[in-house]
Parts: sequence; C-alpha cells; structure tokens
Amino acid sequence: MATNTETGEIEDFGQVSRTVGTVFRYLLLAATMFGIVMLAILLLYVANDAIRPLTADLGWHLTFFVGLVLPTLLVGWTVYRRDRAALSFGALLVGTLVVSLMFSGGVALLAIDVIPPLVAFAYAVGLVVPTAATVGLTRYAHRISFTTRLIATTMVFYLALFGLPGPIGDPVGAPSLVPSLVEFVLTRPVIPVDRVMVATVIGGISAAAVGSYVAGVRDWTIGLYAAIAAFLASTAAGYVGPFVGLNPVPAVVVTAVAFVPTVAYAWRGAFTEGGSPLGLAFAATVVGGALVGAVAVDALGFAGPQSWVDWQFLTSSHSGTAENAGLYPAIGGSILLMSTVAALSFPLGVGAAVYLEEYAPDNALTRFVDVNISNLAGVPSVVYGLLGLGVFVTYLGRSAGTVLVGGATLALLILPIVIISSREAIRSVPTDLRQASYGMGATRWQTVKNVVLPESFPGILTGTILALGRAIGETAPLIMIGAPNVVFDLPATLGSKVSAMPLQVYAWSSLFASEDFYTKAVPAGVVVLLAVLLAMNSIAIVLRNKFERAG
Amino acid sequence: MSMDELKTDITRQTENSPRELLTRTFFFLCAALSIVTTISIVVLLVTEAAKFFTLTAPLMGVTGQTASIVDFLTGTTWEINSGEFGVLTLVSATVMITLGSAVIALPLGVATAIYLSEYASTRARSVLKPALEILAGVPTVVYGFFALIYITPALSVIFPSIGTFNMLSASIVVGIMIIPMVASISEDAMSAVPDDLRQAGYGMGATKFDVATGVVVPAALSGIFSSFILALSRAIGETMAVTIAAGSRAQFLNPLNPASFLEGSLPMTAAMVQLLLGDITGGGLAYRSLFAIGLVLFVITLIMNVISDFVAQRYREEY
Repeated sequence: MATNTETGEIEDFGQVSRTVGTVFRYLLLAATMFGIVMLAILLLYVANDAIRPLTADLGWHLTFFVGLVLPTLLVGWTVYRRDRAALSFGALLVGTLVVSLMFSGGVALLAIDVIPPLVAFAYAVGLVVPTAATVGLTRYAHRISFTTRLIATTMVFYLALFGLPGPIGDPVGAPSLVPSLVEFVLTRPVIPVDRVMVATVIGGISAAAVGSYVAGVRDWTIGLYAAIAAFLASTAAGYVGPFVGLNPVPAVVVTAVAFVPTVAYAWRGAFTEGGSPLGLAFAATVVGGALVGAVAVDALGFAGPQSWVDWQFLTSSHSGTAENAGLYPAIGGSILLMSTVAALSFPLGVGAAVYLEEYAPDNALTRFVDVNISNLAGVPSVVYGLLGLGVFVTYLGRSAGTVLVGGATLALLILPIVIISSREAIRSVPTDLRQASYGMGATRWQTVKNVVLPESFPGILTGTILALGRAIGETAPLIMIGAPNVVFDLPATLGSKVSAMPLQVYAWSSLFASEDFYTKAVPAGVVVLLAVLLAMNSIAIVLRNKFERAG
Repeated sequence: MSMDELKTDITRQTENSPRELLTRTFFFLCAALSIVTTISIVVLLVTEAAKFFTLTAPLMGVTGQTASIVDFLTGTTWEINSGEFGVLTLVSATVMITLGSAVIALPLGVATAIYLSEYASTRARSVLKPALEILAGVPTVVYGFFALIYITPALSVIFPSIGTFNMLSASIVVGIMIIPMVASISEDAMSAVPDDLRQAGYGMGATKFDVATGVVVPAALSGIFSSFILALSRAIGETMAVTIAAGSRAQFLNPLNPASFLEGSLPMTAAMVQLLLGDITGGGLAYRSLFAIGLVLFVITLIMNVISDFVAQRYREEY
C-alpha cells in the first residue's frame, strides 16, 4: 500500500492541472470585459438611433469609403510602417482640428448670442489697460512697497472697470463723476464693426497664445511674427468668410480658435527638429478625404443619412414635436455653466490644495480638513443640490435656477475632486526643486508661484478638466436648484434662468415621454452630450500623457 | 554691522511680509471653504428637517402642518397629497437598488481588479483602465435613458411581466456604473501587496491561481471591503438613473423578494427629484420633507464613508 501511494505520488509529482488556472483567467477577463462590452453595445444602439447611418444611400457610403476610409487606411498603414511617431502625430493633429472646431463652435455661440462684440471689446479694453499699467508698475518701480503697489493696482482696476465713485457710491446715491473705461468705450459714437472687434478680442487672445507657444519652441522674434500672422489671419477671415458662405463673426472665431492653433501645432510637429512631416500627409489625407467625399456626394446627388443630430437640432430650441426640437439653449447653458464652474472651482480648489500641501502645519485642524474633503467627495450630488437650494435660493434670496446659482452649486460639487487631484499634482513636484528655491532665498509664496505651480500646472489642468467633465453631466443638482426644464433663449446674464444639456435630455425622456422623443430627440441629445464629454476627456488624456512623458 | 543685525536684515522680508500674509490667508480661506461647506450642509439639513417633525417644529418656531417623526421612520406609505410620509417606502427601494447593483458590481469589480493587478500585461492594462474609467464617466442621465429604452425592452423578453419602470434595469445600470469604483480601489489594494508574498507563494509550488486567490486577495481584503462600501454608498446616492428608470410610484417592496425587482418604486433620491418637480411651495410641508429625506441620505452615506475609511485604516495589513 505504502509503496503504491509513494509511486503514485512520484508519478504525479510536478504535474499541476492548468485547467483551473486557465478557466479562472478567462473568467476574469470576461468579467473585466462585461461592463465595457455592455456599454459599447448601448452606445452603438444610441448612435444608430441618433445618426441613422442606414438611411443613407449606398452610393453615399461607397463615396466616403473610396474617398475617405480607403486612403486613410492605405496612407495610415504606410506611415505606420515607416514611422510610428508620425502616425500618432497625424492622428493627434486630426483630433486637434476636430476638438478645436467643436470648441470654436461654442465660442462662436457666445460671441453671437450671449456677449455682444461691443461689450466684449469694452471689457477687453477695460482689462488690458490696467493690466498693462500693473505690469509696468511691477517692472519699473521696485522701490515702491508691496502694500502701496497692491493698493495702486486695485485702484487702477476699479477705475477701469467701475469708474468713480462706482458701486461704492451707490448706497449713498453719489453721482458718477468719472465714467469707467468700459463705459467710456461703450458710449463712443463711432465704433468699429463687429468683425473687427471680435477679431481684436478673440484673435488677440489666440494670437498671444500661439505667439508664446511658438516662442517657447523657437525664440521670441519668431514668436512675435507668428502672433502677428495669426492676428492678421483672424482679421482677414472676417472679410473672406462671406465669400465662402460664412458670416463674418463665426468665420473670425473659427479661424482664431480652430485653424490658427491647428496650424501652429502642425508646424511644430512637422517642421521643427525631430518633427515628422509624414504625419502631416496622414492628416491631410483624412481631412482632404472628408472634404472630397462631401463635395463628391453633393455633386453626385447621393442622400446622406437622415440623422437626428443635424444643424437644425444644434441650432433650434425645444419644441413640442420631436422632429423640430433642438438643443441650442441647453448647449449655450452648459457652456455658460461650465465657464462659471471653472472660474469658481479652479482658483478655490488650487488654493486649497496649495494650502494643504505647502503651508498647512501638521495639526488636528489640517487632519480634520483632510478627512472632511474626502468625505465631501462622497456626498451625493442631490445633497449638493439641496445645499444650493437652501443656502443660495432660500437664505440668500437669489432667484432659482440661474447661471450663477447653478454654477456655484456645481462648483461646490466638484471642488473636492479638484482639490484632491491638484494635491496629487502638487505632491508630485520633486522636493529638490522647492529646496533649491528656498536655498536661493525665495519666500514661500515666491516658491509656490515660480516653482510649485508651474511644475504642477499640467497635472492640475488635467484634474480640473476631468472634474468639469463630471460637472457637465450632472443633472440632479440643477433640478434641485430649480433650473427650468424648458428654456427657449440663451441666458443673457449670470442672473437669468438656465438649462443644460443633461437637463434637457432628462426633460425629454421623462416629462415629454413619448415614442417620438425616445427615438429622435433623446438619442440625438445623448450623442451630443457624449461627444462634448469625449472631447473634454481626450484633451485631459492627451495633457496627462504629455505630462507623464515629460515628468 | 553685527551678525545679528545682518540676520534680521536678511530675514526681514520673509514669512510675515504683507505679500506673504495676504497669499497665505487666501490659501487658508480656500481650504477653510470645505469646512464651511460641510457645516452649511449639516446645519441646513438639520434645521430644515427639524421644521418638518412635530416633535421639533415648535423649537424652530414653525406652526402649521408637521409630520410625526415615528411615522416618518416607520411608516410604509409615501403619499404626499394625503400627508403620509413613510420614509421606509423610499428606503426599501433604495436598498433594492443597492442590493441589485451590488450583485453585479462587487463580483465583477473584484474579478476586474484581480485580472488587472495579477494577469493583465502592461499593454492590456493601459487599454483596459481608461476603458473602465469611461464606465464611470458617462453621465448618469444617459444611463437612465439606456435602462429605460434599451435594457427594459430586452429584459421583457425574459420576464414578460416586467413593468416599464422597474428596479431590475435601474440596478443593472447602477451596477455597471460603480464597477470602476470597486475595481480601481481594489486594484490599488492588490498592487500594494508586496511581491515578496507572491514570490514566497510561487516558491512553495503554488500556481498563479493559488497565489491570486490564496495570497493576494486575502492580503488586500481590507481595501476590497472599503471599495465595496464606497461603491455602495455611491449607489445609494445615485440619482438620475434611478429617477428615470425606476419609476415614480412609491410602494413598499420587500427587498429580499426577487419578484419585486420587476416592479417599479421610488428610491430616496428619485423622491427628492419628484418632490422638486411637483408644485412645492417654499417652506411648505413637502419642501421640508425634502430636507428630511436629504438628512437620512446624508447620514447613511456619511456613515458608510466613515466605515470604509475605518476598515481601510484599521484592518490594513502593514508590510
């Protein structure tokens, strides 16, 4: 017996059944894929319902296949074989163009329907002049003490934006003695035309950004030339646009926000050292293919898909019938809400993160704040909605459902996320850099300003964009603060009622519940919402990858 | 100039100069805002909820309609029009959503975490992790629409008696939504298990399966549990998906009876949205009931977050 067992053992020794392990492994893989596959199927369904590719002519599909898909695959394969980096550059370039076009659509919407060009121009003047004065003061007057400089700066800004005595004089009814710079510009009898003002403001910002980008790659003279060229291009677009069927203002905005940055990125990726011009060929194939396809389809008379996501859907407001319903006020509302949320949560969140990482002493209060923030991140969003309703609307007496109240509520909601991700970014700045700065005699604020924030900026930006992505999809807090389900106009001021994309989708899928809305307007709204989210997240992911590679 | 004078001259401008004070105060105020937020939430919920109950309303100086705190906590009927506020009705629906989503998310999440931390190649992980993040990034209102339009009709093939609004489809989408949360926190815990333990396992002749299930999972158990609790607290607070998919008619259902998943009911969060969309006058009983539900919700999620923190800290295996 004993020998038998022994021999048996010796025969089995080293034999391990691999069946269990293999089955387990594939079960795990299946579990991992379950959620992803489910979501992919649902997304396919909703995309099919919204875009309806099968309603297009066969010729339409064939034209685009021959004009766009085949060349893209061929050129892509060739480029991939030669230089992988070139392919990823080319793909990024196409992505940049698409995302910046979406973004420019948003800016154009603001420029056309929310902020009149004259107002934007007046405020731009009212901000640039005192900023220039402040910069001059800082650069040429070292002897003035910080306190004096601070007071002088505040006064210059106050004068430029509010005049004298401005809001301070309001309670006592003091008459306006000196009009503010903004008012002064607004009341000029002779004003430049809209396209010039838009080109000055938006083209100016874009030119400054492109100029500093180019200057960072090469040197500041080339940067200056690039900035001038960018500015001229934006201005010219206002006059060329009408010839290709675009209104002047959108033409300027699209050029300044989409084309100019894309060209700068293409130049950087293709023609600088270590660049890959092949990637440019790939991008040109994709964009050219799409254009050729569009022209050919038009010329040959093939009907495209009868998509519910069309120009009409993007530019009209809610309607009782699903075919005529549109998302325009909700898109504008979401843009305004996100601007408010970003303006509130970015400085506050980064400030809190800087305090906790750089200043806070290790005591009970700091630990309490720490625990408190992670708990706030777990509070349900409806509760934040209640907070907005109770504090902003009921106690502070703001009217319900406005841009300001909605933005403030959403900002509070994402603040913990912004703080947590900013802290991580700040923590990843090497201590050596801080010590070097202190060793040079820098104060804490100088170290934060010159070392910590610039080093951690990409990480902070990534976290903030992801948090904004969370805020843009939030519906419950907006319902709680009384945002209306149906809005027909874009909000004109921060104090007007606002709707948002997810809220409109909810309204269509619950209050206007009908087979018509379920199969037309709601899928279209969902696709637009997801496209915006995808664009935001892809910006964040590209930033993160760049940041990680550099770090 | 003596050394001491030189020292004061050099250090004069630091720490307490106006600029330093100003910036430090600004940063401190930013951090203090989080405490202000918490305090406002607590004070607001408690005072408004206190105005709701008969017992505490006189203390707040509220006259008029109130509700009994005992009825609120034990009643099983939720009908605002007839003045019946039995929060157990809503809690039962929330418990069902939580149980249903747990059945989906917990096993799948842990399996995902094991796969990512033990089996997946670096390349596979770099694709799978962002893909999983997408699951959590899709707006909840979109999930609600998916549940209502695509999942419920698909389910009605299997369960012909399923209602248009049902707990099953809502549970499924909430479960999918919280998979990434379980997976990422559990995976962090598993990755924190030192390689020595795995090598020791292999040295003893264990297979990869033995090491994954017998060494890594037990060692990461506290992290896994804390991920469960966090994810479930997320499921409890989830609003739009359940509002759209679970229905609007409050009824008390037995959470342990599988058949009740085919019916619709009204979870706490959905009830809050419904109250808001109805005609509620500021300061009225329905308005105040909103804060009473909010308080219950806040307390439950807070307790769960604290427990999750406690488990992660207390039972963490230190290596």
